[in-house]
Amino acid sequence: MAELLSRTEAEDFLYREAELLDEWRLPEWAELYTEDATYEVTSPTTADPVNADPDRTLFLISDRIDRIRGRANRLMKKSAHAEYPRSKTRHLVTNVRVIGGAEGGTRIRSNFAVFRTKEDTTSVFMGEVYHILVREAGELRIRRKRAILDLNSLYNQGRLTIIL
Amino acid sequence: MALEDPQWALVQADPEKRSFRVHRSAYKSQEIFEREKALIFGKCWLYLGHGSELNKKGDFVTRRVGGRDIIFIRDKSGEIGAFFNTCTHRGAKVCRERNGNARNFSCPYHGWVFSSEGKLVTTNANGGYGEDLNADGHLDLRRVPRLENYRNFYFINYNPNAISLHDYLAGARDAIDAVCDQAETEQVILSGEHSYSIRANYKLLVENSYDGYHLVSVHASYFDHLRDQFAGTPAASMIDDTIASYNTRGAARGLGMGHAVLDSYVPTGRPVAQWLPSMGAHLKAPIEARRAQLIARYGEERADYIADTQKNLVIFPNLVINDIMSITVRYIEPEAPDFIKVTAWAMGPAEESEELRAMRLDQFVSFLGPAGFGSPDDIEMLEICQDAAQHTPVEWSELSKGMDWTDDPRTLSSAPDNELQMQAYWTQWDRVIRGIEKLERE
Ligand code: FES
Ligand SMILES: [Fe+2]
Repeated sequence: MAELLSRTEAEDFLYREAELLDEWRLPEWAELYTEDATYEVTSPTTADPVNADPDRTLFLISDRIDRIRGRANRLMKKSAHAEYPRSKTRHLVTNVRVIGGAEGGTRIRSNFAVFRTKEDTTSVFMGEVYHILVREAGELRIRRKRAILDLNSLYNQGRLTIIL
Repeated sequence: MALEDPQWALVQADPEKRSFRVHRSAYKSQEIFEREKALIFGKCWLYLGHGSELNKKGDFVTRRVGGRDIIFIRDKSGEIGAFFNTCTHRGAKVCRERNGNARNFSCPYHGWVFSSEGKLVTTNANGGYGEDLNADGHLDLRRVPRLENYRNFYFINYNPNAISLHDYLAGARDAIDAVCDQAETEQVILSGEHSYSIRANYKLLVENSYDGYHLVSVHASYFDHLRDQFAGTPAASMIDDTIASYNTRGAARGLGMGHAVLDSYVPTGRPVAQWLPSMGAHLKAPIEARRAQLIARYGEERADYIADTQKNLVIFPNLVINDIMSITVRYIEPEAPDFIKVTAWAMGPAEESEELRAMRLDQFVSFLGPAGFGSPDDIEMLEICQDAAQHTPVEWSELSKGMDWTDDPRTLSSAPDNELQMQAYWTQWDRVIRGIEKLERE
């Protein structure tokens, strides 16, 4: 059993992830993920979003590594019209808790608020994230990331074209 | 410049110039929006929901359809019904949940209770009412005037004299059949939904939903992603071959009554039943088995059509059923001339295996929905069209591509990257809003 991360180690890592996203260094963000990683955002009306299975119920996002990289690469292009001109984002990460070991790493639960401004419209995405962080060749990596929005729809936000 | 004035048409077809254009006020004017609410949404059949959403007795969902709040329910005898979500006493909503299961609805304000069949069961009052207050049933929950279904797709109509749903759907029935016939048992709405919004007129999303012309320009980054996925497989050359030959196969087909379908060929892979190496070797056998079943059931030609053709179907005025890399049922609710709410579901055969179901959902989110690699780029286009329509003085939008008819485009066909389908839609829209098309029984 691998040793659990401390809360400070987890926080440093999550802050680093948030920084890469806010600076739109998305290919570097994709490099934080392991080869067997998933990045998921459940649909707002999903029952039991912590345990829901994207093979059985419709998520907003359920990416394995090829689509994590694809998402990052796409958002770097001018032809990703939904994010052109690019949004400004600010990821706030709080209430970080180490909740145990899982899948060879440490399971972390945190709260988030992400502010997105596209042209002159600002919207907020808020909720919680479950990460599983693992050490690979001395580096911390993300094996799982599942974001759960505190929303009932995207009627106020329109769409979700940034990375949470 | 009164709308009634036949000299002042918002939709102009000029066969001599091969020109078809729509006045941009149709996308932005509050006055026209009010007319649409009365004349389009008040008279056309509107999608309410799918029977598979109500599996058990007492299952219900609440939904806004054409500006009216509806309870869609399977009552305790198993019948499907549709009621306006308002208490007949003094108006409170009797149901505040999006979905659930209920024996009855108890109004939170003064406690009137209505059964799942809409009957007023009790007023919860200690005197004060005459004995036969509801003898004629006028205090029961108000039923939507018409509720009919075609192959478990339930539609409502606010006009009691409307023509039947069967007649209204016209050629769209065949297009719905092509979706339903994929299933050995039945097609069902899958768990989960996408609900999102777009700052654009509902007709801009309609136009986009079966527009073959925008594919390469708007979705270039999606095709880049597919190229990466296909790299090193025999499918690698398919993307560019397909783009080059896009307008030589398939067609946009008017289905009558303003409905139309775009049949086209894009190698995205399809759960029914087009396997690609990027889906993984483990899925090859089950997908090929599914195609073999289709051939056994319908013969080669129909099976090929069902399996290979991407079908983007619009049922006038606001339902989209796209059977593309996955199937989506997409309902558009206009809230304002420049704002819509969209609810989209995934659909698949009830009998589907776990691995094919997983692939279907994966294909769905790869492109569709508010966080996919495709739909959000469409949405951005609609929003910049709307914004520019409202803030520039240019009056007309040009929808002339493929305009080679002289009389009525509503049952014609044209190349997939033409704009015949939109010409068919707007011709119906124009005729309904002018009262030429009454959509009523004789
Ligand atoms: S408004 Fe429903 S009981 Fe009075
Ligand atoms: Fe599109």
